[in-house]
Amino acid sequence: MQKLRRPGPWIALLLVVVAATAPGWMGAYFLGIFTTAYYFGVFAMSWDLLFGFAGEVNFGPTFLIGLGAYGAGLMNNAGIPIPLCLIGGAAIAVVGGVLLALPALRLRGPYFGLVTLVAVLLLLDCIVIFAGVTGGEIGMMVPDVLSIDAGVNYWYALAFLVVSALILFGLSRSSLGLILQATGQDRIEAAALGFNVTKHKLAAFVISAFFSGLAGAMLTFYEGTASVDTVVSLAITVQIVIAVVFGGRRTILGGILGGIFLILFGELLRPLGELNTFVVSAIALAVIIFFPDGALGWLLRPRDPR
Amino acid sequence: MTSHLRRALSCALAAAGALGLYAAAPARAADPEPIKIGVISEQSAIVGQAILQGAQLAAEDINAKGGVNGRKIEIVSYDDHSSASDAVRAYQRAVQQDHVSAVVATFISEVALAIEPWAARLHMPTITPAAASDLISKQVHDKYDQYKYMFEGWFPSPILARATCDASGDLFVKDLHMKTAAIVSEDADWTKPLDDGTAVCLPKVGLTVVDHVRFNPDTTDFTPIYNSIEAKHPNVIITGIAHVGVQPTVQWHDQQVPIPLGGISAQATNLTFWKDTNGAANGVVTQTGTVPGLAITPLTLPVADAFQKRFGHFPAFDGFTAYDAVRAFAGAIARAKSTDPDKMVAEMEKTDMEGTLGHVAFYGRQDQFTHALKYGPGFVTPVVMQWQDGKQVCVWPSDKCPAKMIFPSFVKVQQAANQ
Amino acid sequence: MIALQILIDGFAVSALYGLGAVGFTLIFGVSGVLNLAHGGIMLVAALLGWWIAADHGAGPYGGAAFGVLMGLVASYVTYFVVVRPIQRSRAIPKVEEEIFILTGTLLWGIMIQVGMDYIFSNNPVTMQPLIPGVVNLFGVRTPWNELMIAAVCWTTIGLLWLLVNRTRIGKQLMAAAINPRGLTLLGFEMSRIYLIVWSIYGVLAGLAGVLLASFFGISSDNVGNLTASAFTIVILGGLGSVPGSLIAAYVVGYAETITAYLVAPTLRPIPALLILVVVLYLRPQGLLGRR
Repeated sequence: MQKLRRPGPWIALLLVVVAATAPGWMGAYFLGIFTTAYYFGVFAMSWDLLFGFAGEVNFGPTFLIGLGAYGAGLMNNAGIPIPLCLIGGAAIAVVGGVLLALPALRLRGPYFGLVTLVAVLLLLDCIVIFAGVTGGEIGMMVPDVLSIDAGVNYWYALAFLVVSALILFGLSRSSLGLILQATGQDRIEAAALGFNVTKHKLAAFVISAFFSGLAGAMLTFYEGTASVDTVVSLAITVQIVIAVVFGGRRTILGGILGGIFLILFGELLRPLGELNTFVVSAIALAVIIFFPDGALGWLLRPRDPR
Repeated sequence: MTSHLRRALSCALAAAGALGLYAAAPARAADPEPIKIGVISEQSAIVGQAILQGAQLAAEDINAKGGVNGRKIEIVSYDDHSSASDAVRAYQRAVQQDHVSAVVATFISEVALAIEPWAARLHMPTITPAAASDLISKQVHDKYDQYKYMFEGWFPSPILARATCDASGDLFVKDLHMKTAAIVSEDADWTKPLDDGTAVCLPKVGLTVVDHVRFNPDTTDFTPIYNSIEAKHPNVIITGIAHVGVQPTVQWHDQQVPIPLGGISAQATNLTFWKDTNGAANGVVTQTGTVPGLAITPLTLPVADAFQKRFGHFPAFDGFTAYDAVRAFAGAIARAKSTDPDKMVAEMEKTDMEGTLGHVAFYGRQDQFTHALKYGPGFVTPVVMQWQDGKQVCVWPSDKCPAKMIFPSFVKVQQAANQ
Repeated sequence: MIALQILIDGFAVSALYGLGAVGFTLIFGVSGVLNLAHGGIMLVAALLGWWIAADHGAGPYGGAAFGVLMGLVASYVTYFVVVRPIQRSRAIPKVEEEIFILTGTLLWGIMIQVGMDYIFSNNPVTMQPLIPGVVNLFGVRTPWNELMIAAVCWTTIGLLWLLVNRTRIGKQLMAAAINPRGLTLLGFEMSRIYLIVWSIYGVLAGLAGVLLASFFGISSDNVGNLTASAFTIVILGGLGSVPGSLIAAYVVGYAETITAYLVAPTLRPIPALLILVVVLYLRPQGLLGRR
C-alpha cells in the first residue's frame, strides 16, 4: 500500500493512457516520429541495463539490434510469418549476445568496449561481403509489414515499449539489478560478497540482447527494410548513448525519455538543416557535464531537505 | 503539489507548447496556395547542395513565368545527412506534415531505395536526380502498380556502363589505339551492374579486360591496388567511383602511376576537385553531365549562368538534373491540371521536353528501366570531360566536343599505343 | 618484388598509424583519458591546414605548420571544455569518470565532425605533398612524400622518447602515469602535468592529421574510422604503452597491406580485426599492457 501513495507509478500510468489515445488527436507524421522514438526507447533501455547497471561500456548494441533485424528479415524473406520471425530474430540476437559476452567475461573497461565495437565492424563487413543475401549496404526489403496504418503501427510500438519497460524496470529493481550495480561499482567487492559476477553479467547480456534483437526485428517490420544505416551503423550506437545519458543512466525508464528527446528534437530542429545533429549532441554533452544523472535522474533525485 | 510533480508538469507543458507552436506554424493564409515540392538531400555534400539549388532555381524560373496553373511552386528542403533512416523520416514529414505534392530526393542509391517503398505506400510522385542503382527502376518495372510513383532523373548504372563503353571505344581505342583495360570500382551497390556491364561491353569496343579490382569504399591507401593493376599492364584504368575520388586521384598522381584514368569518377565532376586534389586531377578523364561553357541544349548555358549568378558557382551535374526534375513535375501538374498523384504519374510518363542536358523523357512501363531517364542520341547522353590545367574540358562526343585529351608526362599513353 | 612492395608501403602506413596512436595512448597512460574525439582533432588540423594552404597561399609548409597549431588548439579545447569539467565535477563519482569521459568525448567528436562538415562540406581534400616526385627504390616506384612521412613520423617518435626519458618533464609524466597520488604528495601540480600531456598530444595528433591529409587525403566522413583505428591499435598494443602501440600499429598496418595485396582489397580491414579479437582473448591486457 505504501507504494501506491507515491506519485511515480500514477504519473507513469497517466502518461501511458495519454500516449495510447494519441492516434485520436495526433497527425500521421508525429505518430511516425513517436513510433520510431519508442523503438529507440527500447534500444536505450536494453543498453542501460549493461551500461548503467553493470558499468560496461558496450559499443555493440547495434550488433545485437542488427542481428535481430537481419535475422528476422532473412526469415521473412524465406516465407516465414512475422510472429515467428520476431521470435527467431530475438533468438539470434541472444545467441549473438552470448558470443559477445564470452570475451566480456574476461575483459574490462575500454578493452571490453573495443571488442564490442569490433563485433559491430565485423557484422558491417559481413553484411557488405554477403550482399547477395543481405542486400549489402542498400539494405534488405521484407515482404511483410506490421501494418500500413500509422495509428496501428504506433500502438504496436507503444505496447512493445510498455511491456519491455515493465520487464526491464522490474529486473533492474530485483536482486539482479542490485548485484549488477554492485559489480559495476566495485567488481572485487561484489565477488568477495559471494555473488557470482560472471553469471549475473551473462544474464544481463542475454536480457539486453533479447530486447535489442526483438526491437530491431519490430523496427524492420515497421519500416519495411533492414539496412546498415537503420539498424547496424555506429551512428545508431551514438544515438543510443545520447538517449541514455540524456534520459539518465541507471534509471532504465530514462531511456524512453532519451529516445523521445532524441528523435523528436532531431525532427523539431530539422529546419536547422545540417546542424541539427550538432545541436542535439551539444545538448547531450551539456547534460553529461552539468546534470550527470540525466533528465529522469534529476527529476527523481532526492531534494536537499534544507 | 510535490516538487516532483511540479517539475514533471512544467516539462510536459513545455513539450506540449513546442508541439503546438510547431503545428500552428505552417497554417498561414496564402492565395492561391502554392504547390509544394520537397527536396531531400545532404547539404554538407557538394552534390547534395546542388540538388537543392537546382530545384530552387527551377522553382524561381517557373514562378517568374507565372507558376503552374496560376499557383506558385514552393521548395521545402530537408537535410537527410545522407542517412537512410533520416531520409525516411524527412520523407514522412514532407508528405504527411508539410503536404508536398512531389519530392526530389538524394544522390545516394541506398537512400533512394529506402525512400522508394514509402513513395509506394504514401502515393507520392518522387524523383531521384542522381542515384544510379538499377534496382530503383527494376522495382518500378516488376511491381508497377505499387511502385509507379518513383522516377529516376539520371541513368541507372547499366546505362552508365553502356555510355562508358561507347566513349571508351572512341577515345581510347579509335584515337589512342589502346587494346587493354582494367576495371577498378568501389564495392558499392551501384557499381555491381556497372561492372557487369563494362565487363561485357568493353571487349566489344576493342578493349580486353585484363584485371578487375573491387575495393572497400573505406580504403585510404590505394598503393596496393595501383601496384597490382600495373603488374597486369593495362593501357587504361576504367574507374567506377563516387564515395572515393580525391584520394585515389592524388595517389595516382603522387605515385606517378603511368596508366591513364578513365570511366566514372563522380567527385572529379565537381569544380572544386582541382583544388581538393591540389592539381593532382590533371589528366583525369570522367563521364559527367556537362562542363562549363558547353551548350548541349539552348537551355544549358542560360541555366548555368543563372546558377552562377544566384549561388556563385557552376553546378554539379545533378544541379541540372534536379532543375529538369522540378520542371518535369511542373509540366506534369500543368497537364494534369491537378496534383493528384496518379494523374501526375501518368503525365510524368508523357514528359517530352527540352532539358538542360538534352531532351528529357522517361522509359515506359514495358521498357527494362521503367521511369529512368531515356538515353541515346535525341535524348540525353552523358559527356566525357578531362581535367586540363585546372579546367574541365569536354572531350566526347566529338560532334559537341572537338578538344583532344592531354595527359601528364608520367602517363605513358604513347607507349601504350605502340605496344 | 611484391614482397618488397608490401614491405615499403606497409612501413609508411604503419608509421603514420603509430604516430596517430602514440598521443592517444600517452594521454591514457598519464591521465586515464580515452579521447574518442581523436579523429575529430586530426580532421581539424588537416582541414584548417589545407584551407590556409590552398585558400590563403600559405604553401605546403605554412599549411602544415598552421594545421599542427590548430591540432594543438583543438586538443586544448577538448581538454578544457569537455575533459576537465568532467574530471572536476563533484556530481560524477570517480569510478564512473572513465565512462563519462568516453561518452563526452564521443559527443564532442561528433560535434567537431558536423561543424567541420558545415563549414567545409564533407568533400575530401588533400594537402600538397611536402616533397613532390618519386624515387626508384630497388625497383619499387616510391613517392618521396611517402618516405618523408615515414621519416617525420619516426623522428617525432624519437623526439618523444627523448622527451620522456631524458628530461625533467618526461620524468614527471612517467611518475604521473605510475603513481599520481605520490606525485601530488611531492608537491607537483597534477593540472600542470595534464596540460603538458595534452599539449604533446595536440601536436602529435595535429601532425598525424596533416601528414595523413598529404599522404592519402582526408574527409570529415573519415572521423569515425580514424578514431576507431587509433582505438584498435592502442588497445591491441596495451593501453598506456607507447612501445606496445608502435608494435600494434605495424601489426595492423602490415595485416591490412598484405590483405590488400595478396587476398582482395575489399577484405582489407578484416584480418586486423580478427587478430585483435584473438589477441585480446589470449591476452586481455593487450600486447604490452600492464594490469
